[in-house]
Amino acid sequence: MNNKFLETRNVTKTFGKLKALDDVNFNLYQGKIHGLLGENGAGKSSLMNILSGIYQPDKGSIYLDGEKQKILNPDFASKLGIGMVHQEFRLVESFSIKDNLTLSKSNIYKNDFLKSFKKYSEIFALNVNENEIISNLSVGEKQKIEIMKLIFNDSRIMLLDEPTAVLTPQETSQLKNSLVTLAQEDMKTMVLITHKLKEIKEFTEIVSVMKNGKMVAQDLPTKDVTDNQLIELMMGTVKTSTVNKDNEVGKIKLNVENINYTDSVNNIKKLEDINFQVKAGEILGLAGVSGNGQVELANIISGIERIYEGKIIIDNTDVSSKGVRSRKKLNLSYIPENRLGVGLAPGVSVIDNSIVKDYFHTKLGPHLSRNKTSNYLESLIKQFSIKAPNPKAEISTLSGGNMQKLLMGRELVGDPDVIIASQPTRGLDVNAVDAIHNLLIDQRNKGSAIFLISEDLDELFKLSHRLLVIFEGKIVKSFNTVDADINDVGLAMAGVNE
Amino acid sequence: MNKYILTKRQVVNELSTFYSFLLGFLIALMIGSIILLIQDKNPFDTFSLMFKLSIGSVNSLSSSLNKATPLILAGLGIAIINTVKLWNIGAEGQIFMGAIAVNLIYINFQLTNSTSFIFVLLVSAFIGGAFCILIPAITKVLFGVNEIITTLLTNYIVIGLTIYLVNGPWKDPGSLNFPAAAYVGKEVYLPTIFGKLSYGFLICILFTVFAHYLKNSSVFGYEMRIAGGSEMTAIYAGINAKQKAFFAMLIGGGFAGLAGGVELLSQTHRVSTGISQGFGYTAIIVAAITGMRPIGIFLVGSLFGALSIGGSVIQTIGVSTYIADIIQASTLFGALVIQFFFNYKLKRADDG
Ligand SMILES: Nc1ncnc2c1ncn2[C@@H]1O[C@H](COP(=O)(O)OP(=O)(O)OP(=O)(O)O)[C@@H](O)[C@H]1O
Ligand SMILES: [Mg+2]
Repeated sequence: MNNKFLETRNVTKTFGKLKALDDVNFNLYQGKIHGLLGENGAGKSSLMNILSGIYQPDKGSIYLDGEKQKILNPDFASKLGIGMVHQEFRLVESFSIKDNLTLSKSNIYKNDFLKSFKKYSEIFALNVNENEIISNLSVGEKQKIEIMKLIFNDSRIMLLDEPTAVLTPQETSQLKNSLVTLAQEDMKTMVLITHKLKEIKEFTEIVSVMKNGKMVAQDLPTKDVTDNQLIELMMGTVKTSTVNKDNEVGKIKLNVENINYTDSVNNIKKLEDINFQVKAGEILGLAGVSGNGQVELANIISGIERIYEGKIIIDNTDVSSKGVRSRKKLNLSYIPENRLGVGLAPGVSVIDNSIVKDYFHTKLGPHLSRNKTSNYLESLIKQFSIKAPNPKAEISTLSGGNMQKLLMGRELVGDPDVIIASQPTRGLDVNAVDAIHNLLIDQRNKGSAIFLISEDLDELFKLSHRLLVIFEGKIVKSFNTVDADINDVGLAMAGVNE
Repeated sequence: MNKYILTKRQVVNELSTFYSFLLGFLIALMIGSIILLIQDKNPFDTFSLMFKLSIGSVNSLSSSLNKATPLILAGLGIAIINTVKLWNIGAEGQIFMGAIAVNLIYINFQLTNSTSFIFVLLVSAFIGGAFCILIPAITKVLFGVNEIITTLLTNYIVIGLTIYLVNGPWKDPGSLNFPAAAYVGKEVYLPTIFGKLSYGFLICILFTVFAHYLKNSSVFGYEMRIAGGSEMTAIYAGINAKQKAFFAMLIGGGFAGLAGGVELLSQTHRVSTGISQGFGYTAIIVAAITGMRPIGIFLVGSLFGALSIGGSVIQTIGVSTYIADIIQASTLFGALVIQFFFNYKLKRADDG
C-alpha cells in the first residue's frame, strides 16, 4: 500500500465517564475510498468529528502527509482540506443551492461557479437548477448537495457519515458511481461510514472496524475479507449471558398482521409485510441497526401512528383503527426509545411524569388530588427503587437510569398483558441495565407478552426466546435464540442474505 | 481552563418566585428612589404618601382593589394559556372585546331581572374575549403560527374596531365631541360590596380559585401541563395536545374578556378607548412575576392596583404618575434577574 495520507495515532476521547474513543489508530490513503464499520455507538462519528475539528481529542495526535497537525476547529480542518458530511443534514434549508455551496469562506468556485456546478451535477446525476431552494429538494438531492459542498470547499479528504442511510437502493448505487469517479479523477480521499456490508463491498477498497471505542481491525483490503470476518470483528466475542427461559408460555397476546407503512412526508416505504405473534410469558426480540423501521413499528403497535395498512390484534381484540387510549385499556404498555421527549415530558415535574399512564383511571381522577398522586409516586419509588428525592423537581434532574426506572415502573405497574420495550437500556450503566433486565424478566414470569426492540445483541440474546431481524423495513430472518449464531444475526442485520 | 459555565440547579427552592418578587420589588423601589432624588423629591415622603392614599382608608383600598380586578382577571387568563407554554400578548384586545360584547348584548336585548341581565352580560364578556383569541388559536393549532405575534396583532384590530364603533355606529350624541358609546343603564351596574368596592372583586376572587383549581388540580390542567412539556409525550399518552392548547387559549381569552366586562359594568359604564389603561399589558408583567401562579397573580395584581392608585394621586405633589409604571416594570425586571440566579448557578467548567 502507498503512503499514509492522513493518520491518527492513539486518539482518545471521553464524554463524562464514557470512553467514546480509546487509543484509536486510523489511516487514510490518497485517492482511496475507505470503509468504516461498527455497531451503533462504536465511536465512528466521534472519530470523524475529531478529524474535522468539531471535537478535540483528550490524547493522541493527527498527522497529515507525515506532519503533525493540531486541528483546533472546523476552520482549521477545512484549511487542511478535510471536510465532513454529517449523519444529519447541515444545509441552510431556506437558501438556494448556490448559496449553500458558496457559503463557506474556503469555497474555491466563486467565480466560475456555473461551470463547476454543471460539471459536478453531471458526476452526481443531479438535475436541478442552482437557484432552487434547498427545502424543495428531495432527500437524495440534499445528500448530493451536502457532498458537493465538500468539493466546492476544496476538501481533499471527504468524511461521509452514513450518507446512504437516507437513500433508496437506486440512489445508493448512483452515489457509488459518483464517488468512484471523484476518487479516480479528482484523487479525492474518502471515508464512508455505513452499516450495510453490501455497500462496504461495493464502494470501498480498504476497510477498518471499530467496536466499543476501539479500532479492532485496520486497513483490511476489502476484496480479501469475507462478510463473516467483518461481522465477527464488529460483534466481537459476545458474552452470551442468558437467563432461564423455561418459564410457561401461554396463548397469543399480540398479533401483528401484514403491516405496511409509508412515511407520508417523504413518501418512502418504511415497513413491508410485517407479521409476528408474541405469546404470554414470551420475550420476542427485534434486532436491527437503528433506522430500519423499528420506531415506526413500535409507534404503529402502540397506536401513535394511525395511518398504515394491516392489523394489530391485542388479546383477540382488533385494535387496528383504535387510538392510544383504547390500547392502553387493553393493558398494553409502551416504553419508547426516546425516553425524554416521548416517554417523559421535559420541563414537567417528576410527579406529573409519574402518572402519565394512569392519570385518567378513576383511581386517580377526576380531581388529581395531591394525596393520591403523591401516594402513587411513593409506591413507584419504593417498588422500583427509584432515586427521586424531590417529586416537584423537573424530570430532567433525575439521572438517566432513574428516569428509565421511573418510566419502566410507570409502564409496568399494572402488570400489562403486552409490553413494547424499545431500547430500554440504551445509555445506562451496568447496574441500571441489570435492574431493567430483572424488571423485564419478572414481568415475563408474571405472564406479560414482551416485544423487545434493541440494537444490543447481548441484551437480545440474554432475554429473548425468539429473535427477528429487521432490515430496511422488512423482517429478513427469524431465529430461536438457543440455537442462533450471533454472526448469522449480525449478517442479517447488515443486509447480507446467503 | 478556567471557564465558567451556567448549570441548571437540580433543586430550586419552592419559594424562589416569592423571594425574587420581594427582591425585585426592593430593587424597583430603589430605582424609583433614585429617579425621585434626581427630581429633588424625598423618596420616603413620596412612598409613604402613595401608601396612605392607596390603602390608607376603606375608600382608597376599595379603589385599589377595583383597579386590581381587571389586572388579576387578565393575568389569570395569561397564566392558564401559559400552562400549555403559550403566550397571550392579546389580553388588551380581549379586554376591549369583552366590553364591546357587553354593549352589543346590552343594546340589542333587554331582561327585566337585572341580576340575570348582569349575569348574561358577564357571560357575553367572557365569550367576547374567547372570540377575540379564536383566530390566533385556530392558526396556532392548525398551522403553528406564532401566537405571540397573532395575539399582539389582534390588539390593534380590536382597538381599531373600538375607535370605529365609538366614533360611528355607537357614538353617543350626548357625549359631545368625546368619542364614546352611550352609558349603560344603572340597572346593570355591578353593585358595591362596601365603600366603593365593587362586586367585580368578588368575581375576581372566585375566578382566582377557579384558575388555581383548573391549573393545579384538575385533569384538564394536568393534560395541559403534559401538552405544554412535550407534544410527543402528550400524543404518546393519548392526550390531544392541540385540542388542549385550543381550549386553554379560549378560556384564557375569556378571562381577559370578563375583565373588560367587569370594568365596563363597574367602572366606566360605557365603551370608549378608555376601557383599559394598558391592563392587558400590565397583566403580562403580573403573570410573569408570579411564575404564572394564580394565587400570586391575585396578590401581586392587588399590589399593582394599589401602586396605580397611589401613582395617580401623587401628582398632587408634583410627581409624575409614571413613577408607578417604572416601579411595576422594574419589579418584573428585578424579579426575572433574581429568579435566574435561583434557577442557575455558575460553575467552573473543569469540575465535571
Ligand atoms: N457529544 C457527546 N456527548 C456525550 N456522549 C457522546 C457525544 N457524542 C457521542 N457520544 C457517545 O459516544 C459514543 C460513540 O458515539 P458515536 O456517535 O461516535 O457512535 P457511532 O459509531 O457513530 O454510532 P452510530 O452508528 O449510532 O452513528 C456513544 O455512546 C455516544 O452516546
Ligand atoms: Mg454515528
